[in-house]
Amino acid sequence: MTAHLTFTNVTKRFGKVEVVATPFNLQIARNEFVVFLGPSGCGKTTLMRMIGGLDTPSTEDIRLDGAPVGGPDWRRGMVFQSYSSFPWLTVAENVAFGMRYRTDLSEEEKLGRRDHYLDLVGLYEFSDTYPNRVSGGMRQRIAIARTLAAGSDVLLMDEPFGALDAQRREQLQGELRRIQRRDAKTVVFVTHDVEEAAFLADRVIVFSKRPARIMAEIDVRARLGEDRTLEMRDGADFFALRNEMLRLVRASAGEEP
Amino acid sequence: MGGGFALRDLFRLRAPLPRTVSALIALAASALVLAVWEGVARLGLTNPVFFPAPSAVISAMMRMFADQHLAWNAWVSILRVWSAFLLAAVMAIPIGMMMSAYRAIGAALEPIVDFIRYLPVPALVPLSIIWFGVGEETKIFLLWLGTFFQLVLLVSDDMRRVPQEYIEIAYTVGAKPGQVLKDVAFRAMLPGLVDNLRITLGWCWTYLIIAEIVAADSGLGFVIWAARRYMKTPEVMAGVFLIGIIGLLTDQLLRAAHRRAFRYL
Ligand SMILES: Nc1ncnc2c1ncn2[C@@H]1O[C@H](COP(=O)(O)OP(=O)(O)OP(=O)(O)O)[C@@H](O)[C@H]1O
Ligand SMILES: [Mg+2]
Repeated sequence: MTAHLTFTNVTKRFGKVEVVATPFNLQIARNEFVVFLGPSGCGKTTLMRMIGGLDTPSTEDIRLDGAPVGGPDWRRGMVFQSYSSFPWLTVAENVAFGMRYRTDLSEEEKLGRRDHYLDLVGLYEFSDTYPNRVSGGMRQRIAIARTLAAGSDVLLMDEPFGALDAQRREQLQGELRRIQRRDAKTVVFVTHDVEEAAFLADRVIVFSKRPARIMAEIDVRARLGEDRTLEMRDGADFFALRNEMLRLVRASAGEEP
Repeated sequence: MGGGFALRDLFRLRAPLPRTVSALIALAASALVLAVWEGVARLGLTNPVFFPAPSAVISAMMRMFADQHLAWNAWVSILRVWSAFLLAAVMAIPIGMMMSAYRAIGAALEPIVDFIRYLPVPALVPLSIIWFGVGEETKIFLLWLGTFFQLVLLVSDDMRRVPQEYIEIAYTVGAKPGQVLKDVAFRAMLPGLVDNLRITLGWCWTYLIIAEIVAADSGLGFVIWAARRYMKTPEVMAGVFLIGIIGLLTDQLLRAAHRRAFRYL
């Protein structure tokens, strides 16, 4: 395993507020699916924004393939926690916006990808609708499709399935895991749902309250293997893992920083 | 709409109003005001020299269209308003956007703009005449002065209100700063911008009349001021009326265009 993303002695402060505990070190391998679990306000979004280049660490650095991450670009795609889309573009145009500035794709390829991801998230029939006319869960799917269509190697997803119904959530969890394996993507995924974490992750990282410190790491791949199926979710291994994580999350929320 | 519109809906907070009902109410309210005014004048409650009936104003307007080139004067005024307004808009939009996109530009320009914005345009008429004489330049300059500095700040506020997340989405799909401004920020602020332009256009008329009263031999301001000299109150009112009508029509057209262009809202 080669490290794709490395945090080396990172600190992050907003004014006097320390967001990540110093020193913060973390390595994420290429093609690894990492899930962040932790109490609300602990700094998960901030960590993600720093990988995406939208926030800069206060000291030391975050490297991607050995080079400092720098500003944002399309190779690090982001699904924001508030799942915004542009109200003046239709659903299909919003999804296509993910590829708007890519010059390495032809127009036909872009159209093909757009329709593929619209269909994947079940929004094909709403292609020509404006986002203000669709539900919150559908808007969240626009943001997911836009980010997947963009085709980045690193996917940063901040509670991307929060507003979805259980069935759609399971479907997209399966698709995401499949896409991640097939296209060899590195994924950093934030959720508060331990079952989602257990199903998706190669590795789960549990954070303390702010300032974020790594409380525990769970090697899910060693426990459940690479392939995840719907049936697994009812298995005893999965259940044990889920309970274990739930205990860790409770402990992390209760512990004073 | 299921056609289920009941009278009590009129008094429900923010209840939707069908387009036809809304138009009827608008017409009825205007007709009522005119009828009361006409009645008061006919009953002899007012002195017709000071406060003529609307019928007298309208017949004066007809007369002025027929033999005093009212339509041409109105056209001259409209051209002045639009050329100054477009000039102000074309300058204010990029400058206003830059002011909020780059803090340094904002910091440099804001005090200057704020200072000039508070200068009353009429106070600058003498200066303007010294600089530009009494030709078209003076009028355009005064109108521009009255709108440009207001508009710059409105544009910069519109730009500031563009959600940070729209900008961040654009960056994370690989947009460059110029593309972010053009494809996202400008597009996001456009509905608000068009509203502000519509409101600013109204102010242009105020400054136009001031400019035309002081220094002009054409335009509606000139017509009104000339009629005043002979105490022709119906003609004064006809000129004022016409401005109101032009304003009403322009505003309604721009609103309709707004609804059409920003159907997604
Ligand atoms: N721009 C900012 N300025 C000041 N403080 C900030 C800023 N952004 C985040 N913070 C603070 O940093 C801390 C971490 O915020 P962050 O959004 O990363 O939490 P989170 O783990 O994503 O929480 P949640 O699970 O609720 O989304 C919070 O205490 C927040 O108040
Ligand atoms: Mg968050």
